[in-house]
Amino acid sequence: MYTQVLKAQWLTARTAVMLLVVLAFALPLLVVTYGGNLEGAPSGRVATWLFAAQRIGVLIPGLALLLGLLLGLGAWAPDHAGNHVYALSLPVPRGMYVLLRFAAGATLLAVPVAALGIGAAVAVASVKLPSGVHAYPLELTARFALAALVCYAIFFAISIATRRAVLATLGVVCGILLADLLLVALGVESSVTQSVFYLLTTWPGPLSILMGRWALFDV
Amino acid sequence: MNYAIETSGLEYRASRRFEIRDLNLRVRSGAIYGFLGPNGSGKTTTIRLLLGMLRAQRGAITVLGRQVPGEMARILAETGYVPERPHLYPYLSLEEAIHFHAAFYPGFDVAYAAELRQGFGLPLDQKLAKLSKGEMGKLHILLVLAQRPRLLVLDEPTDGLDPVVRRDVLAALLDFCSQGTATVFISSHLVHELERICDWVGVLDDGKLVVELPMQSFKNGIKRIRISNPPSLIGDTPFVLLQREMAGTEQVWVVRGWQPPMVQWFEGAGAGVREIVDLDLEEGFVELLRSSRGSRF
Repeated sequence: MYTQVLKAQWLTARTAVMLLVVLAFALPLLVVTYGGNLEGAPSGRVATWLFAAQRIGVLIPGLALLLGLLLGLGAWAPDHAGNHVYALSLPVPRGMYVLLRFAAGATLLAVPVAALGIGAAVAVASVKLPSGVHAYPLELTARFALAALVCYAIFFAISIATRRAVLATLGVVCGILLADLLLVALGVESSVTQSVFYLLTTWPGPLSILMGRWALFDV
Repeated sequence: MNYAIETSGLEYRASRRFEIRDLNLRVRSGAIYGFLGPNGSGKTTTIRLLLGMLRAQRGAITVLGRQVPGEMARILAETGYVPERPHLYPYLSLEEAIHFHAAFYPGFDVAYAAELRQGFGLPLDQKLAKLSKGEMGKLHILLVLAQRPRLLVLDEPTDGLDPVVRRDVLAALLDFCSQGTATVFISSHLVHELERICDWVGVLDDGKLVVELPMQSFKNGIKRIRISNPPSLIGDTPFVLLQREMAGTEQVWVVRGWQPPMVQWFEGAGAGVREIVDLDLEEGFVELLRSSRGSRF
Protein backbone atom coordinates (compact mmCIF):
# COMPACT_ATOMS: atom_id res chain seq x y z
CA MET A 1 0.00 0.00 0.00
CA TYR A 2 2.73 2.39 1.05
CA THR A 3 4.68 1.81 -2.17
CA GLN A 4 1.63 2.54 -4.29
CA VAL A 5 0.74 5.69 -2.35
CA LEU A 6 4.36 6.83 -2.60
CA LYS A 7 4.36 6.19 -6.33
CA ALA A 8 1.09 8.07 -6.79
CA GLN A 9 2.39 10.98 -4.73
CA TRP A 10 5.63 11.04 -6.68
CA LEU A 11 3.70 11.33 -9.94
CA THR A 12 1.91 14.46 -8.72
CA ALA A 13 4.90 16.08 -7.02
CA ARG A 14 7.83 15.10 -9.23
CA THR A 15 8.16 18.42 -11.07
CA ALA A 16 8.24 20.39 -7.81
CA VAL A 17 10.58 17.87 -6.19
CA MET A 18 13.03 17.93 -9.08
CA LEU A 19 13.07 21.74 -9.11
CA LEU A 20 13.74 21.75 -5.38
CA VAL A 21 16.46 19.13 -5.82
CA VAL A 22 18.29 21.47 -8.19
CA LEU A 23 17.90 24.40 -5.80
CA ALA A 24 18.94 22.33 -2.78
CA PHE A 25 22.04 21.09 -4.56
CA ALA A 26 22.95 24.53 -5.90
CA LEU A 27 22.54 26.60 -2.71
CA PRO A 28 25.60 25.26 -0.81
CA LEU A 29 27.65 25.56 -3.99
CA LEU A 30 26.74 29.25 -4.25
CA VAL A 31 28.63 29.79 -1.02
CA VAL A 32 31.92 28.69 -2.49
CA THR A 33 31.59 30.81 -5.62
CA TYR A 34 32.85 33.64 -3.42
CA GLY A 35 36.28 32.01 -3.32
CA GLY A 36 37.68 28.52 -3.24
CA ASN A 37 40.98 29.01 -1.45
CA LEU A 38 40.98 30.83 1.85
CA GLU A 39 44.07 29.21 3.30
CA GLY A 40 46.33 31.96 4.56
CA ALA A 41 43.90 34.68 3.43
CA PRO A 42 43.82 37.86 5.47
CA SER A 43 41.25 37.83 8.28
CA GLY A 44 39.29 40.68 6.69
CA ARG A 45 38.71 38.63 3.53
CA VAL A 46 37.73 35.56 5.56
CA ALA A 47 35.22 37.62 7.54
CA THR A 48 33.71 39.03 4.33
CA TRP A 49 33.55 35.53 2.87
CA LEU A 50 31.86 34.14 5.99
CA PHE A 51 29.38 37.02 6.00
CA ALA A 52 28.48 36.34 2.34
CA ALA A 53 28.21 32.62 3.01
CA GLN A 54 25.85 33.24 5.92
CA ARG A 55 23.68 35.54 3.82
CA ILE A 56 23.24 32.72 1.32
CA GLY A 57 22.49 30.43 4.27
CA VAL A 58 19.36 32.48 4.97
CA LEU A 59 17.87 31.04 1.78
CA ILE A 60 18.09 27.49 3.12
CA PRO A 61 15.21 27.73 5.67
CA GLY A 62 13.24 29.47 2.90
CA LEU A 63 13.84 26.41 0.75
CA ALA A 64 12.71 24.14 3.61
CA LEU A 65 9.53 26.21 3.91
CA LEU A 66 8.89 26.00 0.16
CA LEU A 67 9.54 22.24 0.17
CA GLY A 68 7.14 21.70 3.08
CA LEU A 69 4.54 23.94 1.46
CA LEU A 70 4.60 22.23 -1.94
CA LEU A 71 4.64 18.67 -0.63
CA GLY A 72 2.24 19.34 2.25
CA LEU A 73 -0.41 21.00 0.13
CA GLY A 74 0.18 18.60 -2.77
CA ALA A 75 -0.29 15.51 -0.61
CA TRP A 76 -4.09 15.87 -0.59
CA ALA A 77 -4.65 17.54 -3.94
CA PRO A 78 -5.71 14.35 -5.81
CA ASP A 79 -8.12 13.36 -3.03
CA HIS A 80 -9.58 16.86 -2.79
CA ALA A 81 -10.29 16.73 -6.53
CA GLY A 82 -12.40 13.59 -6.07
CA ASN A 83 -14.04 14.82 -2.83
CA HIS A 84 -12.14 12.06 -1.00
CA VAL A 85 -14.66 9.48 -2.26
CA TYR A 86 -11.99 7.07 -3.49
CA ALA A 87 -9.93 7.36 -0.32
CA LEU A 88 -13.01 6.78 1.82
CA SER A 89 -13.97 3.71 -0.16
CA LEU A 90 -10.60 2.02 0.40
CA PRO A 91 -10.55 -0.66 3.08
CA VAL A 92 -8.16 1.04 5.47
CA PRO A 93 -9.03 3.00 8.60
CA ARG A 94 -8.98 6.74 7.99
CA GLY A 95 -6.09 7.26 10.39
CA MET A 96 -4.05 4.68 8.53
CA TYR A 97 -4.71 6.35 5.19
CA VAL A 98 -3.64 9.73 6.60
CA LEU A 99 -0.49 8.08 7.90
CA LEU A 100 0.19 6.51 4.48
CA ARG A 101 -0.18 9.89 2.76
CA PHE A 102 2.00 11.58 5.38
CA ALA A 103 4.69 8.94 5.20
CA ALA A 104 4.77 9.04 1.40
CA GLY A 105 5.19 12.82 1.37
CA ALA A 106 7.80 12.66 4.10
CA THR A 107 9.72 10.12 2.03
CA LEU A 108 9.73 12.50 -0.92
CA LEU A 109 11.27 15.17 1.33
CA ALA A 110 14.33 12.96 1.53
CA VAL A 111 15.22 13.61 -2.12
CA PRO A 112 15.86 17.39 -1.85
CA VAL A 113 17.38 16.83 1.61
CA ALA A 114 19.85 14.38 0.10
CA ALA A 115 20.55 16.87 -2.70
CA LEU A 116 21.34 19.55 -0.14
CA GLY A 117 23.59 17.10 1.74
CA ILE A 118 25.47 16.22 -1.46
CA GLY A 119 25.68 19.89 -2.47
CA ALA A 120 27.07 20.75 0.96
CA ALA A 121 29.60 17.93 0.80
CA VAL A 122 30.76 19.04 -2.67
CA ALA A 123 30.96 22.67 -1.47
CA VAL A 124 33.04 21.69 1.56
CA ALA A 125 35.37 19.55 -0.56
CA SER A 126 35.97 22.38 -3.01
CA VAL A 127 37.12 24.99 -0.51
CA LYS A 128 40.30 25.25 1.52
CA LEU A 129 39.35 26.70 4.87
CA PRO A 130 41.66 28.80 7.01
CA SER A 131 42.35 27.63 10.54
CA GLY A 132 39.57 28.50 12.95
CA VAL A 133 36.81 28.20 10.33
CA HIS A 134 34.83 24.95 10.28
CA ALA A 135 32.35 23.34 7.91
CA TYR A 136 29.07 21.87 9.14
CA PRO A 137 27.60 19.94 6.20
CA LEU A 138 25.97 17.18 8.26
CA GLU A 139 24.54 19.57 10.84
CA LEU A 140 23.14 21.83 8.13
CA THR A 141 21.58 18.89 6.28
CA ALA A 142 20.03 17.48 9.45
CA ARG A 143 18.61 20.86 10.36
CA PHE A 144 17.27 21.34 6.85
CA ALA A 145 15.61 17.91 7.03
CA LEU A 146 13.99 18.73 10.36
CA ALA A 147 12.82 22.16 9.20
CA ALA A 148 11.37 20.72 5.99
CA LEU A 149 9.59 18.00 7.97
CA VAL A 150 8.09 20.53 10.39
CA CYS A 151 6.88 22.76 7.53
CA TYR A 152 5.56 19.71 5.66
CA ALA A 153 3.63 18.57 8.75
CA ILE A 154 2.10 22.02 9.23
CA PHE A 155 0.97 22.39 5.62
CA PHE A 156 -0.15 18.74 5.47
CA ALA A 157 -2.40 19.41 8.47
CA ILE A 158 -3.73 22.64 6.97
CA SER A 159 -4.41 20.95 3.66
CA ILE A 160 -6.35 18.04 5.20
CA ALA A 161 -8.56 20.35 7.24
CA THR A 162 -12.17 20.79 6.31
CA ARG A 163 -13.34 24.04 4.77
CA ARG A 164 -14.90 24.94 8.10
CA ALA A 165 -11.58 24.48 9.91
CA VAL A 166 -9.74 26.55 7.32
CA LEU A 167 -12.33 29.31 7.63
CA ALA A 168 -12.03 29.16 11.43
CA THR A 169 -8.23 29.49 11.17
CA LEU A 170 -8.57 32.41 8.77
CA GLY A 171 -11.06 33.95 11.18
CA VAL A 172 -8.55 33.71 14.03
CA VAL A 173 -5.83 35.31 11.85
CA CYS A 174 -8.15 38.14 10.82
CA GLY A 175 -9.20 38.52 14.47
CA ILE A 176 -5.57 38.94 15.51
CA LEU A 177 -4.96 41.54 12.80
CA LEU A 178 -8.11 43.44 13.77
CA ALA A 179 -7.13 43.33 17.44
CA ASP A 180 -3.78 44.81 16.45
CA LEU A 181 -5.43 47.63 14.51
CA LEU A 182 -7.67 48.30 17.48
CA LEU A 183 -4.69 48.45 19.84
CA VAL A 184 -2.91 50.87 17.49
CA ALA A 185 -6.06 53.04 17.35
CA LEU A 186 -6.21 53.06 21.15
CA GLY A 187 -2.57 54.06 21.35
CA VAL A 188 -1.47 50.85 23.07
CA GLU A 189 2.11 49.88 22.21
CA SER A 190 1.71 46.12 22.55
CA SER A 191 1.19 44.22 19.27
CA VAL A 192 -0.75 40.94 19.15
CA THR A 193 0.70 40.02 15.75
CA GLN A 194 4.20 40.52 17.07
CA SER A 195 3.47 38.43 20.16
CA VAL A 196 2.00 35.59 18.07
CA PHE A 197 4.97 35.74 15.68
CA TYR A 198 7.30 35.62 18.67
CA LEU A 199 5.44 32.63 20.12
CA LEU A 200 5.65 30.74 16.81
CA THR A 201 9.28 31.51 16.07
CA THR A 202 10.92 31.07 19.46
CA TRP A 203 11.38 27.75 21.17
CA PRO A 204 9.15 25.76 21.65
CA GLY A 205 7.23 27.42 18.80
CA PRO A 206 6.93 25.15 15.73
CA LEU A 207 8.69 27.64 13.42
CA SER A 208 11.67 28.24 15.71
CA ILE A 209 13.61 25.69 13.65
CA LEU A 210 13.56 28.16 10.73
CA MET A 211 15.12 30.96 12.72
CA GLY A 212 18.70 31.59 13.81
CA ARG A 213 21.88 31.06 11.82
CA TRP A 214 21.99 28.61 8.94
CA ALA A 215 25.68 28.50 8.22
CA LEU A 216 27.53 25.86 6.27
CA PHE A 217 30.79 27.51 7.36
CA ASP A 218 31.36 29.14 10.69
CA VAL A 219 34.03 29.72 13.25
CA MET B 1 -33.16 -14.43 6.88
CA ASN B 2 -29.61 -13.50 5.97
CA TYR B 3 -29.28 -9.90 4.79
CA ALA B 4 -26.24 -8.40 3.10
CA ILE B 5 -27.55 -4.92 3.90
CA GLU B 6 -29.97 -4.05 6.65
CA THR B 7 -30.92 -0.62 7.91
CA SER B 8 -33.44 0.18 10.59
CA GLY B 9 -34.91 3.56 11.36
CA LEU B 10 -32.14 5.30 9.44
CA GLU B 11 -32.31 9.06 9.54
CA TYR B 12 -29.98 11.60 8.02
CA ARG B 13 -30.63 15.27 7.54
CA ALA B 14 -28.47 16.70 4.76
CA SER B 15 -30.12 20.12 4.70
CA ARG B 16 -33.36 21.83 5.61
CA ARG B 17 -34.83 20.71 2.33
CA PHE B 18 -33.65 17.12 2.21
CA GLU B 19 -33.47 14.26 4.64
CA ILE B 20 -33.51 10.47 4.70
CA ARG B 21 -36.44 9.45 6.87
CA ASP B 22 -36.96 6.19 8.74
CA LEU B 23 -35.25 4.11 6.09
CA ASN B 24 -35.64 0.37 6.57
CA LEU B 25 -33.80 -1.46 3.81
CA ARG B 26 -33.41 -5.20 3.67
CA VAL B 27 -31.20 -6.59 0.91
CA ARG B 28 -31.02 -10.37 0.93
CA SER B 29 -27.63 -12.02 0.50
CA GLY B 30 -27.12 -13.07 -3.09
CA ALA B 31 -29.79 -10.74 -4.44
CA ILE B 32 -29.37 -8.28 -7.28
CA TYR B 33 -31.19 -5.38 -5.71
CA GLY B 34 -32.26 -2.45 -7.82
CA PHE B 35 -32.44 0.79 -5.89
CA LEU B 36 -34.74 2.97 -7.94
CA GLY B 37 -35.57 6.57 -7.47
CA PRO B 38 -35.79 9.86 -9.34
CA ASN B 39 -32.84 12.27 -9.34
CA GLY B 40 -32.40 13.84 -5.94
CA SER B 41 -34.42 11.17 -4.13
CA GLY B 42 -31.51 10.26 -1.84
CA LYS B 43 -29.99 7.20 -3.52
CA THR B 44 -26.40 8.45 -3.42
CA THR B 45 -26.82 9.73 0.14
CA THR B 46 -28.14 6.32 1.20
CA ILE B 47 -25.19 4.58 -0.43
CA ARG B 48 -22.75 6.94 1.30
CA LEU B 49 -24.45 6.16 4.60
CA LEU B 50 -24.17 2.43 3.92
CA LEU B 51 -20.46 2.76 3.17
CA GLY B 52 -19.67 4.91 6.18
CA MET B 53 -18.86 8.04 4.18
CA LEU B 54 -21.65 9.89 5.95
CA ARG B 55 -22.75 9.38 9.53
CA ALA B 56 -26.43 8.76 10.19
CA GLN B 57 -28.07 10.88 12.85
CA ARG B 58 -30.27 8.00 13.95
CA GLY B 59 -30.80 4.32 13.22
CA ALA B 60 -28.60 1.30 12.64
CA ILE B 61 -26.83 -0.07 9.58
CA THR B 62 -25.49 -3.57 9.14
CA VAL B 63 -23.54 -4.50 6.03
CA LEU B 64 -22.32 -8.07 5.48
CA GLY B 65 -23.22 -8.81 9.09
CA ARG B 66 -21.04 -6.00 10.44
CA GLN B 67 -21.94 -2.72 12.03
CA VAL B 68 -21.48 0.58 10.20
CA PRO B 69 -19.39 2.61 10.92
CA GLY B 70 -17.62 0.55 13.61
CA GLU B 71 -16.29 -2.17 11.31
CA MET B 72 -15.96 -0.11 8.16
CA ALA B 73 -12.50 -1.28 7.06
CA ARG B 74 -13.60 -4.94 7.15
CA ILE B 75 -16.80 -4.15 5.30
CA LEU B 76 -14.98 -2.18 2.61
CA ALA B 77 -12.46 -4.99 2.16
CA GLU B 78 -15.33 -7.15 0.92
CA THR B 79 -17.24 -4.44 -0.93
CA GLY B 80 -16.76 -3.13 -4.43
CA TYR B 81 -18.02 0.40 -4.89
CA VAL B 82 -18.58 2.27 -8.12
CA PRO B 83 -19.51 5.87 -7.34
CA GLU B 84 -21.78 8.12 -9.30
CA ARG B 85 -18.89 10.23 -10.63
CA PRO B 86 -15.39 9.05 -11.54
CA HIS B 87 -13.09 9.49 -8.57
CA LEU B 88 -9.87 7.75 -9.58
CA TYR B 89 -6.67 9.78 -9.78
CA PRO B 90 -6.56 11.17 -13.34
CA TYR B 91 -2.76 11.44 -13.52
CA LEU B 92 -2.34 7.66 -13.17
CA SER B 93 -2.14 5.42 -16.21
CA LEU B 94 -4.62 2.58 -16.43
CA GLU B 95 -1.91 0.12 -15.37
CA GLU B 96 -0.92 2.31 -12.42
CA ALA B 97 -4.55 2.68 -11.37
CA ILE B 98 -4.98 -1.11 -11.36
CA HIS B 99 -1.79 -1.57 -9.30
CA PHE B 100 -2.83 1.17 -6.88
CA HIS B 101 -6.26 -0.34 -6.36
CA ALA B 102 -4.93 -3.91 -6.09
CA ALA B 103 -2.53 -2.91 -3.30
CA PHE B 104 -5.48 -2.27 -0.98
CA TYR B 105 -7.28 -5.55 -1.65
CA PRO B 106 -5.37 -8.72 -0.77
CA GLY B 107 -7.83 -10.84 -2.75
CA PHE B 108 -7.52 -8.76 -5.93
CA ASP B 109 -7.64 -11.14 -8.89
CA VAL B 110 -4.94 -9.86 -11.25
CA ALA B 111 -5.64 -12.49 -13.89
CA TYR B 112 -9.35 -11.66 -13.92
CA ALA B 113 -8.50 -7.95 -14.14
CA ALA B 114 -6.31 -8.66 -17.19
CA GLU B 115 -9.08 -10.73 -18.75
CA LEU B 116 -11.65 -7.98 -18.19
CA ARG B 117 -9.26 -5.34 -19.51
CA GLN B 118 -8.78 -7.28 -22.73
CA GLY B 119 -12.49 -7.88 -23.03
CA PHE B 120 -13.21 -4.18 -22.56
CA GLY B 121 -10.38 -3.19 -24.91
CA LEU B 122 -8.79 -0.77 -22.44
CA PRO B 123 -5.25 0.45 -23.24
CA LEU B 124 -2.82 -0.15 -20.35
CA ASP B 125 -0.63 2.88 -20.88
CA GLN B 126 -3.41 5.45 -21.27
CA LYS B 127 -3.65 8.16 -18.60
CA LEU B 128 -7.02 8.14 -16.86
CA ALA B 129 -7.47 11.82 -17.70
CA LYS B 130 -7.44 10.84 -21.37
CA LEU B 131 -10.00 8.03 -21.05
CA SER B 132 -13.45 8.52 -22.51
CA LYS B 133 -16.47 8.38 -20.23
CA GLY B 134 -17.24 4.88 -21.48
CA GLU B 135 -13.68 3.67 -20.87
CA MET B 136 -13.74 5.16 -17.37
CA GLY B 137 -17.02 3.37 -16.66
CA LYS B 138 -15.49 0.09 -17.81
CA LEU B 139 -12.39 0.67 -15.68
CA HIS B 140 -14.50 1.22 -12.57
CA ILE B 141 -16.36 -2.03 -13.18
CA LEU B 142 -13.07 -3.84 -13.89
CA LEU B 143 -11.56 -2.68 -10.61
CA VAL B 144 -14.48 -3.65 -8.42
CA LEU B 145 -15.11 -7.00 -10.10
CA ALA B 146 -11.44 -7.98 -9.83
CA GLN B 147 -11.68 -7.36 -6.08
CA ARG B 148 -13.93 -10.45 -6.00
CA PRO B 149 -16.19 -8.70 -3.52
CA ARG B 150 -19.05 -10.25 -1.55
CA LEU B 151 -21.04 -7.07 -2.06
CA LEU B 152 -21.11 -4.76 -5.05
CA VAL B 153 -22.51 -1.28 -4.56
CA LEU B 154 -23.00 0.49 -7.85
CA ASP B 155 -24.25 4.05 -7.92
CA GLU B 156 -25.68 4.78 -11.36
CA PRO B 157 -22.85 2.79 -12.97
CA THR B 158 -24.06 3.21 -16.53
CA ASP B 159 -25.39 6.74 -16.33
CA GLY B 160 -24.27 8.70 -19.37
CA LEU B 161 -22.73 5.69 -21.13
CA ASP B 162 -23.63 4.84 -24.70
CA PRO B 163 -25.74 1.71 -25.30
CA VAL B 164 -22.77 -0.40 -26.46
CA VAL B 165 -20.67 0.37 -23.38
CA ARG B 166 -23.72 -0.04 -21.15
CA ARG B 167 -24.29 -3.48 -22.60
CA ASP B 168 -20.62 -4.45 -22.07
CA VAL B 169 -20.70 -3.26 -18.46
CA LEU B 170 -23.95 -5.04 -17.64
CA ALA B 171 -22.75 -8.22 -19.36
CA ALA B 172 -19.57 -8.21 -17.25
CA LEU B 173 -21.67 -7.64 -14.17
CA LEU B 174 -24.03 -10.49 -14.93
CA ASP B 175 -21.11 -12.77 -15.77
CA PHE B 176 -19.56 -11.98 -12.40
CA CYS B 177 -22.84 -12.62 -10.60
CA SER B 178 -23.21 -15.99 -12.32
CA GLN B 179 -19.78 -17.03 -10.98
CA GLY B 180 -20.64 -16.75 -7.31
CA THR B 181 -22.99 -15.57 -4.65
CA ALA B 182 -22.15 -11.88 -4.49
CA THR B 183 -24.89 -9.46 -3.56
CA VAL B 184 -25.36 -6.54 -5.92
CA PHE B 185 -26.90 -3.25 -4.84
CA ILE B 186 -27.37 -1.10 -7.89
CA SER B 187 -28.93 2.33 -7.88
CA SER B 188 -30.38 3.85 -11.00
CA HIS B 189 -33.12 5.99 -12.38
CA LEU B 190 -32.99 3.96 -15.60
CA VAL B 191 -35.87 1.65 -14.89
CA HIS B 192 -35.56 -0.62 -17.92
CA GLU B 193 -31.92 -1.30 -17.14
CA LEU B 194 -32.77 -2.68 -13.72
CA GLU B 195 -35.71 -4.65 -15.06
CA ARG B 196 -33.29 -6.81 -17.02
CA ILE B 197 -30.94 -7.72 -14.23
CA CYS B 198 -32.50 -7.29 -10.79
CA ASP B 199 -34.45 -9.77 -8.74
CA TRP B 200 -35.41 -7.31 -5.99
CA VAL B 201 -36.32 -3.69 -6.19
CA GLY B 202 -36.63 -0.85 -3.71
CA VAL B 203 -38.08 2.50 -4.68
CA LEU B 204 -36.92 5.63 -2.91
CA ASP B 205 -38.60 8.98 -3.22
CA ASP B 206 -37.82 12.16 -1.34
CA GLY B 207 -35.68 10.28 1.18
CA LYS B 208 -38.32 7.68 1.94
CA LEU B 209 -38.61 4.05 0.89
CA VAL B 210 -41.86 3.77 -1.04
CA VAL B 211 -41.78 0.05 -1.66
CA GLU B 212 -39.40 -2.93 -1.45
CA LEU B 213 -40.41 -6.17 -3.10
CA PRO B 214 -39.27 -8.93 -5.50
CA MET B 215 -38.93 -7.69 -9.06
CA GLN B 216 -41.40 -10.29 -10.27
CA SER B 217 -44.08 -8.98 -7.90
CA PHE B 218 -43.28 -5.45 -8.97
CA LYS B 219 -43.56 -6.30 -12.66
CA ASN B 220 -46.63 -8.50 -12.43
CA GLY B 221 -48.44 -6.91 -9.55
CA ILE B 222 -49.05 -3.43 -10.93
CA LYS B 223 -52.06 -3.22 -13.25
CA ARG B 224 -54.21 -0.61 -14.90
CA ILE B 225 -57.86 -1.66 -14.66
CA ARG B 226 -60.74 -0.08 -16.54
CA ILE B 227 -63.95 -0.32 -14.52
CA SER B 228 -67.56 0.38 -15.34
CA ASN B 229 -70.02 1.34 -12.57
CA PRO B 230 -67.23 2.02 -10.10
CA PRO B 231 -68.14 1.93 -6.41
CA SER B 232 -68.51 5.38 -4.85
CA LEU B 233 -67.22 4.16 -1.49
CA ILE B 234 -64.10 2.05 -1.70
CA GLY B 235 -63.37 0.83 1.85
CA ASP B 236 -60.95 -2.08 2.31
CA THR B 237 -59.46 -3.52 -0.87
CA PRO B 238 -57.47 -6.74 -1.30
CA PHE B 239 -54.98 -4.73 -3.40
CA VAL B 240 -53.25 -1.38 -2.98
CA LEU B 241 -54.96 1.38 -4.91
CA LEU B 242 -52.29 3.67 -6.33
CA GLN B 243 -54.26 5.87 -8.68
CA ARG B 244 -57.89 6.48 -9.71
CA GLU B 245 -58.91 8.57 -12.72
CA MET B 246 -62.13 9.27 -14.55
CA ALA B 247 -62.30 8.10 -18.17
CA GLY B 248 -65.70 9.16 -19.50
CA THR B 249 -68.35 7.14 -17.66
CA GLU B 250 -65.73 4.64 -16.53
CA GLN B 251 -62.78 4.84 -14.18
CA VAL B 252 -59.21 3.72 -14.59
CA TRP B 253 -57.57 2.36 -11.48
CA VAL B 254 -53.89 1.63 -11.02
CA VAL B 255 -53.39 -1.05 -8.38
CA ARG B 256 -50.48 -2.90 -6.80
CA GLY B 257 -50.49 -6.46 -5.47
CA TRP B 258 -53.02 -7.61 -8.04
CA GLN B 259 -54.09 -11.27 -8.28
CA PRO B 260 -56.66 -12.56 -10.84
CA PRO B 261 -59.18 -13.75 -8.17
CA MET B 262 -59.48 -10.13 -7.02
CA VAL B 263 -61.91 -9.55 -9.92
CA GLN B 264 -64.54 -10.93 -7.53
CA TRP B 265 -64.08 -7.94 -5.25
CA PHE B 266 -65.27 -5.63 -8.06
CA GLU B 267 -68.19 -7.93 -8.83
CA GLY B 268 -69.14 -7.88 -5.14
CA ALA B 269 -69.09 -4.08 -5.24
CA GLY B 270 -71.37 -4.00 -8.29
CA ALA B 271 -68.63 -2.88 -10.68
CA GLY B 272 -67.55 -4.47 -13.93
CA VAL B 273 -63.94 -5.05 -14.92
CA ARG B 274 -63.63 -4.11 -18.60
CA GLU B 275 -59.91 -4.41 -19.12
CA ILE B 276 -56.78 -5.32 -17.16
CA VAL B 277 -53.49 -4.02 -18.55
CA ASP B 278 -50.02 -5.02 -17.33
CA LEU B 279 -47.92 -1.94 -16.69
CA ASP B 280 -44.28 -2.15 -17.61
CA LEU B 281 -41.74 -1.36 -14.94
CA GLU B 282 -41.37 2.26 -15.91
CA GLU B 283 -45.10 2.92 -15.85
CA GLY B 284 -45.38 1.09 -12.54
CA PHE B 285 -42.50 3.13 -11.16
CA VAL B 286 -44.13 6.40 -12.22
CA GLU B 287 -47.47 5.37 -10.71
CA LEU B 288 -45.77 4.40 -7.45
CA LEU B 289 -44.09 7.78 -7.25
CA ARG B 290 -47.32 9.60 -8.05
CA SER B 291 -49.16 7.72 -5.32
CA SER B 292 -46.37 8.26 -2.78
CA ARG B 293 -46.50 11.99 -3.49
CA GLY B 294 -50.21 12.00 -2.64
CA SER B 295 -51.73 12.67 -6.03
CA ARG B 296 -54.57 10.22 -5.37
CA PHE B 297 -58.01 11.73 -5.32
